[in-house]
Amino acid sequence: MTSVKQYVKKTKVWKSIFRHDFADSPRTRLQRIFGNVFLHLHPVRIAKDAIRVTYTWGLGGISFYLFLVLTVTGILLMFYYRPASALAYRDIKDLSFAVTLGGFLRNMHRWAAHLMVVTVIFHMVRVFLTGAYKPPREYNWVVGVLLLVMTLFLSYTGYLLPWDQLALWAVTVGAQMAANSPLLGNEGPFMLPFISTQNDARFVLVGGTVINDATLIRFYVLHCIAVPFLFTIFLAVHLWRVRKDSFSLQTGEKVDVWPHLVSREFVAALLVTVILFVWSIVMEAPLEAEANLNVTPNPSKAPWYFLGLQELLVYFDPWIAGVVLPTLIIVGLMAIPYVDTNPKGVGVWARMGWQRVGPTRLWVPTERPFAVSVFMLGVIMWFVLIFIGTYDRGPNWEWYWPWEPWSYRRLTKMTLKNLPNLWGLVLLGAYFLSGTPVPKPVRDQMAARGGPKAPGLASAALHVGLGLVIAAAIFIPLLTAPDPDYPARSRYPTLFESLGRSVNAPMVSLLYGWVKHVGPAAGYAMSGLVVLAFGGALGALGIAFGKFKDRLYDELGLIKYSVVMALFLMMMGVLGKIMLRLLFGVKYVFSLPQFNFNI
Amino acid sequence: MKRVLFTVLTGALTALFVLALAKDTNREWTRYQRKFLGTLDRAERRGLRGGIQQILLDDLNRVDRCTTCHVAVDKPQLALAEEPFKAHPGKLLDWHPPETFGCTVCHGGQGIASEAKAAHGDVPHWEEPLLRGPLVQASCRSCHGNVEAIAEHVPLLIKGMTLFEEKGCYGCHAVKDFGQTVSQDLTEVGSKSYLLLEADFEMMRPPHDRIHWLKRKLAHPRTLNPGVPQDRLPEGEEEVFPSAMPHVGLAEDEIEALTTYLLSLTDADYPASYVTPPGPRPAVAYASPIEHGRAVFERYGCTACHGPGGSGGRMNFNAGLGQEVPPLLYVKAYYGNNVEALKTVIREGRQPAPRQDVTRPNPPLYMPAWKDRISEEDLDALVAYLLSLHDRVAPSAESAPADVASAPPADVP
Repeated sequence: MTSVKQYVKKTKVWKSIFRHDFADSPRTRLQRIFGNVFLHLHPVRIAKDAIRVTYTWGLGGISFYLFLVLTVTGILLMFYYRPASALAYRDIKDLSFAVTLGGFLRNMHRWAAHLMVVTVIFHMVRVFLTGAYKPPREYNWVVGVLLLVMTLFLSYTGYLLPWDQLALWAVTVGAQMAANSPLLGNEGPFMLPFISTQNDARFVLVGGTVINDATLIRFYVLHCIAVPFLFTIFLAVHLWRVRKDSFSLQTGEKVDVWPHLVSREFVAALLVTVILFVWSIVMEAPLEAEANLNVTPNPSKAPWYFLGLQELLVYFDPWIAGVVLPTLIIVGLMAIPYVDTNPKGVGVWARMGWQRVGPTRLWVPTERPFAVSVFMLGVIMWFVLIFIGTYDRGPNWEWYWPWEPWSYRRLTKMTLKNLPNLWGLVLLGAYFLSGTPVPKPVRDQMAARGGPKAPGLASAALHVGLGLVIAAAIFIPLLTAPDPDYPARSRYPTLFESLGRSVNAPMVSLLYGWVKHVGPAAGYAMSGLVVLAFGGALGALGIAFGKFKDRLYDELGLIKYSVVMALFLMMMGVLGKIMLRLLFGVKYVFSLPQFNFNI
Repeated sequence: MKRVLFTVLTGALTALFVLALAKDTNREWTRYQRKFLGTLDRAERRGLRGGIQQILLDDLNRVDRCTTCHVAVDKPQLALAEEPFKAHPGKLLDWHPPETFGCTVCHGGQGIASEAKAAHGDVPHWEEPLLRGPLVQASCRSCHGNVEAIAEHVPLLIKGMTLFEEKGCYGCHAVKDFGQTVSQDLTEVGSKSYLLLEADFEMMRPPHDRIHWLKRKLAHPRTLNPGVPQDRLPEGEEEVFPSAMPHVGLAEDEIEALTTYLLSLTDADYPASYVTPPGPRPAVAYASPIEHGRAVFERYGCTACHGPGGSGGRMNFNAGLGQEVPPLLYVKAYYGNNVEALKTVIREGRQPAPRQDVTRPNPPLYMPAWKDRISEEDLDALVAYLLSLHDRVAPSAESAPADVASAPPADVP
C-alpha cells in the first residue's frame, strides 16, 4: 500500500497537480495557502486574537458559505424548474412529490436563503460594533452594504419563482412600491411627463403592466444569472479588500492560517450544514395555492425581511415608506464610515458602562456612545417593525396581538384623524429645529456678554421651549381642533372627542376617560399637566444632549453634522410618527393629498 | 477539541443525509406497492412496474399519479377488496379510458401528489377537494353539456338541477346568462377560491372546504352570515342585516343534490374534443295561459322570495308589510282593475323595497326589473297566473315552510 502511494506520488501526473508535500511542517503550511487558488484568499499568517470565534462569530465567512450552498442547491433546482406560469407551480410540486430528494433540496435552498439574510445583517452589526468600518476600510463597508442590498434582492427575486399565491402577492407588494416611486413611478408623486404604465419603474421591474410570464422569466434571469453575477463581482472586491486591508484586530502573536483558521472555517461550515439539514428535514418550505391574480389573500405580506418596510406603509405614503425611506437607509448606512470620524473602538467590541450625559449618568456604550446607540436603535427598530408586520398584523392589516386569533369579521377599527396642517408644520418645524447646534463662536460671544453660564442657559431655554411647542402641537389640536372629517356638521366638536370614540388609541382614550369620568374641568387640567410633563421631558432630553450636539458640531463641521443630524432626526421622526399613530390615533401629521405628500 | 467537533459534525452530517435519503425513498406509496405485490404470485407480477405511476394529460393540463397507490384500478383481475387496491366499479373506465381522462378530472383531488393526504386534497392550500361518493356526479357536467342524455348515470346531479329551478334560486342568482342579479353570480361557484370564503369559514368548524361550505350555506344560510346588529357596532356605522337568503328547509338528500349541482358549476375549460354542447331546452305546450304563467313563475325563480304559488312567508329584513316579501295571493285585489300597473311593477322592479323603519338600512331583497328577461308573451301568461291566485285556498303548512330562524347547527360559534 505504502509503496503504491510512494509510486503514485512520484508520477508526473501527480506532480503536475500537487506541487508540494503534505507532511505537516512550517514550509508546507505556507505552501498550502499560497499554492492553492481558493485558500489563497487568506493571508499566510494571522493575528491569534483575530480568529477568536467570539470576535467575528464567523458571520462573514458563514454568509459566504451560505452563498455557496445557495449556488449549488440553486443549480440543482434549475434542472427541474421551468420559468413559465403554466409549468412553474407544477414543477415545484414535482420536486416534493416525485424528485428524489427534491423537497429536501428546495427546503435547503429556501432556509439557506433566509439564514443568509440573517447572517449578512448580523455580520454588518458585528462589523459596526467592532468599528471595523473605520479607515482604511470605509470603502469595503460600502461594498458590504451593496452586498446586503443584493442579498435582499436575490431573495426577493427568488420569492416569485414557485408561482404560488404567497409568491405572487409578496412580489406584488414590492412591485407596487416601484409604481409609487417619485418621478419614475406611474402612481408616484412628481411624475415625469413621459411616464406611463408602459414605461414606469414597475414596468421595468415586472416586464409588463401585470405580473405574468414576462415577470417570471425576468425574475428567473435576475435570480439565477444577473444578480449572482453582480454579487460575485462585488464579493470578490469585498474579500480582496479584507485580504489587502487585513483584519481590524491586530493584537496577539501571529499564527499559521493553515491549520488554525482553515480548520475553524471548516467546522463552521459543517455546523451550518448540519443546521440546514435538520431544518430541511423537519420543516417544509411553504407552498400555497397556485398564483391567481384575481384573488388577493388578506393580508398579503411581503417576504419577512421587507415586512418592516411594509409596516411603514401604514404610517407614510407608499412613495415615502417604499422608496424614500429605504433609499435613506441604504445611503445612510453607506455614509456611516465617512461621517463617523471618531477613531476609537477599532478591533474591540463596543462595551456598555455608566457615563455622564449632560446632567445625568446613563448606561450607554462607553467609547462611541452616540454612534453605537443610534445604529443599534436603528437595527432594533428594523427588527421590531418586522416583528410587528409578521406577528401583529392580520386581515385588513389590523393590529392583532400574537395570541389573538385572526378574524375576518372584526368590527372595531382604529379611528384615525389627521392633525390640522398648520399644527403639523409647527410640530415638524420645532422638531427639526431642535437639531440645530450652537456653534462655538456664538457660544463664545454669548459667554462674553452674559457671563459663563449664559450659553448653557440659552440652550436650556431653547430646548425646553421647543419641547413645549412640540407637546403643544400634538395636544392642542387633539383637544381643540374640530374634527377635520366633519368640519361643517361638526359631529364631534374636537378632534379629541372624535378620536375618543376609538378604543385602540390608548393615550387618547386615557385622556378622554378622565374628561368623561372626572369631569371636564379636572380632566382638561390633568390633560394640561400631561402636556407640560411631555414637553418638559422633551426639553430635558434636549438639555441633556445640547452640549453633546454642540461638541459634535465642532468636531464634524457643517456638512457632516448636517448629514448625521438629518439622518438621526428622520430616524427618530419615523419612531415618533409610529408612536403618534399607535398611541394617539394620528393618521398624518402633515398632509398634502394633491402631491401625495402625507407624513 | 476541534478534532472532536470535526468528527462529531461529520458523523452527524452523514447520519442526517442518510435520514433524509431514507425518508425520501421510503414513502407512503412504496409501502402500499410492497403490500400489493406481496399478495401476487410470480405470474401475476409479470409486466407490473413499480415506482411512481403517472398519467400525463397535456390536453387537460394535469398529471395524475393516483395509480401509484390505486394500483389495480384498471386491473380487475388483480384487484383486492380493500382500498387502495380495489378495481374501478362499473363500466365507467371503458367509456372514459384512463389514459385520456386520468382520474382527477372526475374525482377531484390533487393528482400530482404522491401522498394520500395531499392527493385527496385534505391539506391546506389545495382547493380541489376529493369528490367522495355520489358527489362525483358533479364532474360529469364539465364535459357533458347535455346531462339529460346521461340522466340515468347522474340522478343526483339531475335532482340538484331540478331543485335549483324548483326552489327558485334563479330569482336571485344567475348561472351563465340566466337568472337575476339580486345576489351572487353562481356560474363558477364550484371553483370559488377559499380566500373569498375566509369570513364564512370562521363561522364553521373544520373541515373548511367548498363541499362543507356549500352544504352549510344551503342548510342554514343565515348562520354563516348572521349580520351585525346596531348595538354591537361603533357609533356611526350602519347595521348589517343577516344573509337575505330564504331558509327554505331543505331535506338532507336535497342538500346533497343541490351541493352536487353547485359543485358542477366550475371554471373548468376542457378542450373541445372532450366536451359535448348542451342540448336545446325542449319546447312545452301549455294547456292554458294559467299553466303557461305558472311555468314562467317557476322558471324565473319567483318562488324563492314570494313562496311556492305566491304564498309568501319569506323574510326580508326591515321591509314594509311586516319584514316579509309580499305574498301574491292578493294580487287580484290590488291590481285586478289595473293590470298595466302590475305589469309595470314586474317590468321595472321595485328597488329598493319600501322600508318599515326609515332609520334602518334598505331591505336586502328587492323586486328586480324583468323587462329584458321575460318576454311580453310570457308576461301576459304570468299576469294571468298571478290574477288566478286569489282563487286558491290560504297556504297550508306543507306548501309554505315558515321562514323563521330554525334551530342553528351545533357548531355555530
